[in-house]
Order: sequence, then C-alpha cells, then structure tokens
Amino acid sequence: MSTPTHDPHSGDRPDRGTGTANPGTGPTNPSPASARGSAATADENPADPANPAAVDMDEPPAGGSFTRYFLRKLGGAATSMVLVIVLGFFAFRMLPGDPVLKIAKERPMSPAQIAELRSQYGLDKPVIVQFWDYLVGIVTGDLGESYVYRKSVSALIGEYLGPTLLLTATAAVIAIVLGLWLGQISAWRRNSLFDKLASSTSLIFWSVPTFWLGLILLMIFGGTLQWLPTGGMITPGLDPWSPAGIIDVIKHLILPVVSLVAVVYAQFLMIMRASLLEEMNEDYLTTARAKGLTEDEVRRRHAVPNALLPTVTVVFLHIGGLIAGAVTVEAVFSWPGLGKLTFEAIRGPDLPLLQGTFVVFSAIIIVMNLAADIVYRFLDPRVRRA
Amino acid sequence: MFTSHSLRRGWQRCLAGVAALALAGSMATSPAQAATSEAPASENVLRIATDGFIDSFNPFTSFYLVPTNTFRYMYENLVANDAKDGSITEGLATEWNTDSEGKVWTYTIRPDMKWSDGEPLTSKDVAWTYNQMMEKEEMAVANGSLVENFDKVEAPDDGTVKITLKKPQANNPGQEIPVVPEHVWSKIDKPGEFKNDEKSVGSGPFQLESYEANKSITLKANPNFWRGKPKLDEIQYRYYTNSDAQVQAIRSGEVDFITGLSPDQFTALENADNVELNEGNGRRFNGISINPGVADAKGKEFGTGNEALGDKKVRQAIRAGIDTETLRKQVMQDYAQPATSFIPAVYPDWALKSDNSVISGFDVAEAKKLLDDAGWKEGSGGIREKDGEKLQLRFLTDADAPIEQSTAKFLKPWMKDIGIDLKNESSDVDTVSERTTKGDYDMYFSGWSINPDPDYQLSINTCGQRPDADGNGGTSQDGWCNKEFDKLYQAQHVELDQAKRQDLVQKAQAIHYEEAPSVTLWYPNQLEAYRSDRFDNFTKQPSDGGAIANQVGYWGYSSVEPVSEEEATGGGMGAGGWIGIAAAVIVVLGGGGWLLSRRKKSDDRE
Repeated sequence: MSTPTHDPHSGDRPDRGTGTANPGTGPTNPSPASARGSAATADENPADPANPAAVDMDEPPAGGSFTRYFLRKLGGAATSMVLVIVLGFFAFRMLPGDPVLKIAKERPMSPAQIAELRSQYGLDKPVIVQFWDYLVGIVTGDLGESYVYRKSVSALIGEYLGPTLLLTATAAVIAIVLGLWLGQISAWRRNSLFDKLASSTSLIFWSVPTFWLGLILLMIFGGTLQWLPTGGMITPGLDPWSPAGIIDVIKHLILPVVSLVAVVYAQFLMIMRASLLEEMNEDYLTTARAKGLTEDEVRRRHAVPNALLPTVTVVFLHIGGLIAGAVTVEAVFSWPGLGKLTFEAIRGPDLPLLQGTFVVFSAIIIVMNLAADIVYRFLDPRVRRA
Repeated sequence: MFTSHSLRRGWQRCLAGVAALALAGSMATSPAQAATSEAPASENVLRIATDGFIDSFNPFTSFYLVPTNTFRYMYENLVANDAKDGSITEGLATEWNTDSEGKVWTYTIRPDMKWSDGEPLTSKDVAWTYNQMMEKEEMAVANGSLVENFDKVEAPDDGTVKITLKKPQANNPGQEIPVVPEHVWSKIDKPGEFKNDEKSVGSGPFQLESYEANKSITLKANPNFWRGKPKLDEIQYRYYTNSDAQVQAIRSGEVDFITGLSPDQFTALENADNVELNEGNGRRFNGISINPGVADAKGKEFGTGNEALGDKKVRQAIRAGIDTETLRKQVMQDYAQPATSFIPAVYPDWALKSDNSVISGFDVAEAKKLLDDAGWKEGSGGIREKDGEKLQLRFLTDADAPIEQSTAKFLKPWMKDIGIDLKNESSDVDTVSERTTKGDYDMYFSGWSINPDPDYQLSINTCGQRPDADGNGGTSQDGWCNKEFDKLYQAQHVELDQAKRQDLVQKAQAIHYEEAPSVTLWYPNQLEAYRSDRFDNFTKQPSDGGAIANQVGYWGYSSVEPVSEEEATGGGMGAGGWIGIAAAVIVVLGGGGWLLSRRKKSDDRE
C-alpha cells in the first residue's frame, strides 16, 4: 500500500463560513463550539494522522457523563444567544440614518406628522427604555412590530421561514451529497486527472461571488435561453399544491439552488477528501484488502464510513451557515424568504425586523453548532468511550 | 473500527433529517398562497415588475411609493392632473371655483356616480374623508400636510363640496387626496390600523383584488369607473428584488412592463425581441447641493460646511466650472434633459425659462474671475488660498450609485482647473442622508421628484422649512434661506391669476439660481420598457414624450389594450426549455442507473 501523502490542499481548505454575504455568521461565532468545529474541519494536524477523529480539542480526554457534556454545551450556546440578543439591539442602533427621516425624505410631511411617526415606532423613548422593552419582548416571544409591514416580526419571520427552508434544505442536500461523493472519489484517486479537475473546479466556484454567479445564471437561463423563471417562488395565481404549481415551484427553485450549491459544495468536497486521505493510512484497510475485498469495497465499506465521521460536525455547522448565506441568493432571485426579508429590512432601515431576523439567523447557527456537538458525540464512540 | 452498517445508518439518518427539513420547508410555503390559487380569470393581465415597499393599502397612513401609486388607480380625487401637461382637470368634480380671495373653494360633484361595489358616490363621501383627516391624527399620517390649511369641509347637498381654508391659497386644494367610501370606512373600528389589502372598494379605474407581501399585488378593473371600464382585466405587480432580474424578466416575457432602468440596462434592451422602449421625460431633477452655511429656522448655524461657501461668488464659481452638458451626455448617456432650476422641463409653465437673463453657462474664465473677486488667489499647486487656507471642499456621494460616482470623477479635475481641491467622499446612502441632514458636508449629489404644482418644492426652499441641528422640524431642499425668495413664495401661494403666478414662480427660481445654493445638473429621463407583442396604447404624462409609470394620475395603464388574444398567452417555457429539462432528466437517470449497476456488481462479488 502506498503511503498516503498529506492533502496538498489542506492549507487552502475553505474555512470561511459559507462564502456568501452573511450577516448572521460573523457575530454569531463567539460560540466555542463553532470555533472548534472549524478547527476540526481544517484538519491541520498532520502530526497526528492516526487520530482523525480527535477533532474536539477541548473534549475531556476521559469520559464524563453525557448529561454534563450536554449541559456544558448548552451553557455555551445559551451564553452565545444572550450575546447575540444584546448585540442585536445595539449593533443596529449604531447604523447611520434615522428610519423616520428616511421615510419622510422627499415627502411633504409636517413636523407634527414626523413626531407622530416617531412615537408610533417608539423611537421617542430613551434608548435604555427601548432596550428594556426589547428584552421583555424577547422573553415573551414578542420580537416587536415591523416599521414597514406594520406587522408582528415573529409572524413575518414565520411566514418567510418556509421558503428559506425549502431553498436551503434542497441546496444543502445536493451540496452535501455532491461534495462528499466527489470528495471521496478525489481522495481515492488522488493526483489523478479527476482529482485535479474536481478539486480545482470546486475551488473556482467557491471563490466566485454568489451574487455574480447568480446573475450570470439568471442572464443565461432566464433572459437569453428563457428556460427558467428569473425570480420569485411561484407564478402568481398558481396553486402551489397543484401539479402545475409544484412543477412551477421546482422551476423557480433550480437557479437559486444551483447558485447556492456551486458556491458551497467545495467545502464538503475538500473536507471529505482530506478526511479520506487521512483514513487511507490506516492498518484496517490493509486488513480489509487482505480479506480479499476489492478496492471499491474497501473504499465504500471501510474507508468512507470512517472518513465520514469528522465531516458530520462540519456538515451541521455549514447547514446553519447556508441558511444565513441565503441572503444573497434570495436577493438576486427575489426568493420570498428570510434572506429577502432581511435585505428589505436593511433598505428600510426597519430596526425591529432587522433585530428579529438577526436573532433568528443567529439562533439557527447556534442550534446547529450545538446539534453538531451532540450528534458527533453520538456518532463517534471514541468520544464516548475514551 | 465501526461497522460500516451502523455508520451508514447514522449517516442516512442525518440525510433523512435534512430531507425532512426540506419537506417541512416546502409544506411551510404558507396557506396564504392557496388563497389566491385560482388561475387568473383572463390572460388579459398586465404584469408589472416592482421592488417597492408596501406597509399597507390604507390611503390615510401609507406613504411609500408603490402604495401611493396604487392609490392613484384605486381612488379618484376631487380634481385630477391631466395626462397632457399635469394641469388640473376633472375628477370627482366637474367644476370648481373659488371666492375672490382664494379662501373658499366650491366643487360640483358629477351626478350618478357609483363606487366599485355599486353604492352611490356623493359629496358626503368627500366631506367625510377630508374630515377624518382633519379630526384624527392617525388618519393624517400620509396626507396630513395637504389638509393643514383646511378650516372646514362641508357637503351642503349631494352634489356640492365646500372647502373653507384658513389662509388663501392658489393651488387647488382638491388634488392628491384619495376619497374613500363612507359606507365602508365608517364601519371600521380602527380605520388608522386597517390594512385594506384585499377587495378594496373605490372609485378609480382599478381595485385591489389581493396582495401577497413580497410576491404580488393584483388589481382588477372597476366596471363602475366613471370614465368607463378599462380594457385591461387586471394589473399584476410581481416582485423582483433586483433590477437586472427585471430586465431579464421582460426579455423572457415573464413581465410586460418595467420602469426605472439605468441607461446601461435600457441600451441593453434595444435589440430585444418584442420589447418596446419608452424614454419618458421625467419629473425629477438631479443636482449638486452646496452647503451655503446651513442654519436652523431661527438662523443658528450648525454643521461642518466650509465657510468659503457662505460667499455666493464661490458657489457661482463652482457652477461656472461644471460643464453640465458634458455630464448629461457622458454620465447620463444623453438619457436626460438639460436643466435650468429645480422645476423640471415637463412642467413648461413653471420651469425656469432657459432664456432667462439670470442663466449663465459653463465658463472657466468666469469661474476663475469669481474666485479672484471673492479673494481666493491662486497658490501652490494651482489650489487657491485665502488667509493662508487652501480651498478644499468635500463632495459627498453614494458609493452604490454609479451615476454619482461618475459625476464625482468628472468634477474633480474640473474643480482643479479653477483652483478648488475637491475630495470625493463616497459612503452608503444612509450615511449620506444622515450627514446631509446634520449639515456635515460641503457639496452632495441630490435629487427630488416634483409634482405638477410647484408650491411644495418652492415651500421647502423657504427659511421656515430649515430643520434644527438634529434634522428635526423641517424639510429643506438645500438648507438655504432668502427673505426675498420667501416673499415671492408667499405671493405666488395666494395668486389666483395663473399668468401672474407663473411670473412669480419664475422670479423665485431666478433668485435661487442667482444665489446658487445648488447646481441643477439635468432632468433624468424615466427609462421604461414594455412587451409590444402583448399590450399597446399606454398613455404618457405629459402625453408628448412623458413617462408611463409613476404618474400623478391614473392614465398610464388605464388606456392599455391587449394586442391580440393568441399572443396574450405569453410567459411559458419554450420548447427549448422542455428539451433542456428532458436532457437533464436523462443525464440524472442515466447517471443514477450507472451508479446502481456498479453497486450491484460489487455487491455480487462480495
């Protein structure tokens, strides 16, 4: 058996979140879990190739009850959430521009009308009172009322969450399956033409700005070839549950999903590739070969399943990131989801709505990080038994 | 090591979870959509791309552009602004007159009019609407300023409305206030919070049928519209966040009308099949506002404007140093009209005449002379100095606006030519807005949309309209104040003789021009496109070379007719699309089959 070389790309391996304009992920990474998660994925530990699963750097080396482990993780997540909530209020208060004056711009509005708007929005109260109202609201599940839509922020987010889930989940499934599948073949045939092509193509897509790729796809397939719709989720007037409606939604889904997948599948490919390369060093593969299994079976039944382990954490982390990354794609393709809602809120500026989407995006990422920790513990017996 | 089976099972569970998420997502695509599930009753639907904000369709409270434009179609006003030139024409009222002072306005309402639900429409509805706005603060949010001068509004009989004003005014007070049906609105508990976003009752050519936030707005023709039922059955606004997507959508026939195109987008559509372009003379101006030393309404100065700009000679020199014609041709690619002052040329009665003696053109020698006269002498590096200080100015622009950025690029060397060191400070639009309200600028790129009557735009150039240092209390165009201008404003405000009023407006603008608190650069054309294979007979305002969308009135789409029924099915995916999808299906199925066959073979070997 040849000695596997260390993945030449590991230094280049993407570890920058989703690669899309992403207001959610930045400030939401104080969570120790996420920092560790990406350290794990970066796999920058060639000195210890025999232990690819030793990804959880601050994991207690010897056991510890699951409850304690879970509580510790939960505590970390809760702290992150509190930070996000506080930050969510003050960060947007620092944005330039007065929402009321922006609304009043170029309009014949009397000072009395402007004052009335200010009081309707609660902007005439001292900041500390506004902050208190906001905290009380969050505790009671009330994220306030949007300035623009004059509707409860929680209700708005509920309405827009569905399309975002549909878009990102479809993209996530395709990106993960495609990335992992190409990644394992690349690793198995390292340095082959396939490997070089697959790795470099994915990295090219990875470095392309999402909105640019989206626009190019839109122009080619929407405008010039006229194969696919240029925006929205469904043709107005169609019933989304009728056969024609479902086909219509799928048609609307193709371009945004392709844009999202093209940009993110590289990270899954690279992680899988690196992980499998590490695995190929292992003695058990030699044993498997000695049993007379074919190369294909060795890869599929022994190497790949083990190599999948370290990728699971990363996959969860990136699902969270993917949802936040939908902001750009939704804006390009007018996809009526949370990303577009956030985009509109920034244009406002609609402070309660911005705060609300920020908190929700952050919560999704924090929950995904937590889930990554928990799932990993379940999946990898070494973490449990050690 | 772990068994491959247990691991695969775990992995499969993860995938299943993600798939469940996807399914949940698709289920959550909201029952609200099912509400509008019926396919459009007719293909005679004009589909318009939009990206505007909508808070509600309540004409008393909503002030964003899209709803305001929609109200113009949903609710008739007492008097309308003509498509021809924006002048006052019949609305609900057939005739109107004022007393000699301009204080009591009497309107005769057209008899036998009906609301879209068939109920009779009388002067009582008009009086009720106006009184709501005058009596209740929450009903005055959107248009309160229009009734500020109203003392009382009465309906002595079904056919007469009498408006008594606090102070005389020449501008017809019956414009731009949507009149709503009393029999609907008086039954609503909290009319200030009413969203009015489905099946509206109104008197205009189209009525709101349904609205889905960030997805679509559907308007239906009103059979009872007093000018006659429109030929279009429906207007449907579709949401496109991004203007490039709108361009692709009209190219592919997904929408029938788009507006607000950039010169580049407009040029790109020149050769598109079945797309007709309209370069409409717009009702906007763009200019460079020069900080004349902004002060609050009491005259207390604030902000960080360069003191040099307090001298009108310096401001005039800046104008003389700007070649507006080159800017118009290069930056706007000729898609703009030459400008004089802040009333655009689409209102020829009011716009400052280009032969007015006050108007001076691009003249570098004159600019240098003005700066010399102001005491700014040429110093080192060609930059002028006075009392040891260099003449350095900041030009504030929106970093995301290509037109502002290009203008700044032209301005820098031009200002250097006359001895001014101009620094381009580009920022996001919110910062620009915040800094300009606080007077934290020397020059900035500005623009306004102007209504057919010049009163409002003149009013925001008066001294009393200046805000305080926090930006509260007023809306000033340039933060400028001039007593003589104020007198002319007041004089035209009450002048009932149209010719005399025009003269006063000309004089007021001439003073503004001479004082140069801003340099008007051009009147941008409104660039629009429509599907000529589906619809024609759009009405422009002004009818000679004007724009279709964003009119002051309901002309643009009311006259539209479908080209022919066979061609009106549009939008669908062509044969090419189906071939493409079929090819994709074959590739996917083929690939899957190949993978399966490989797996089977290896399984057999085990």
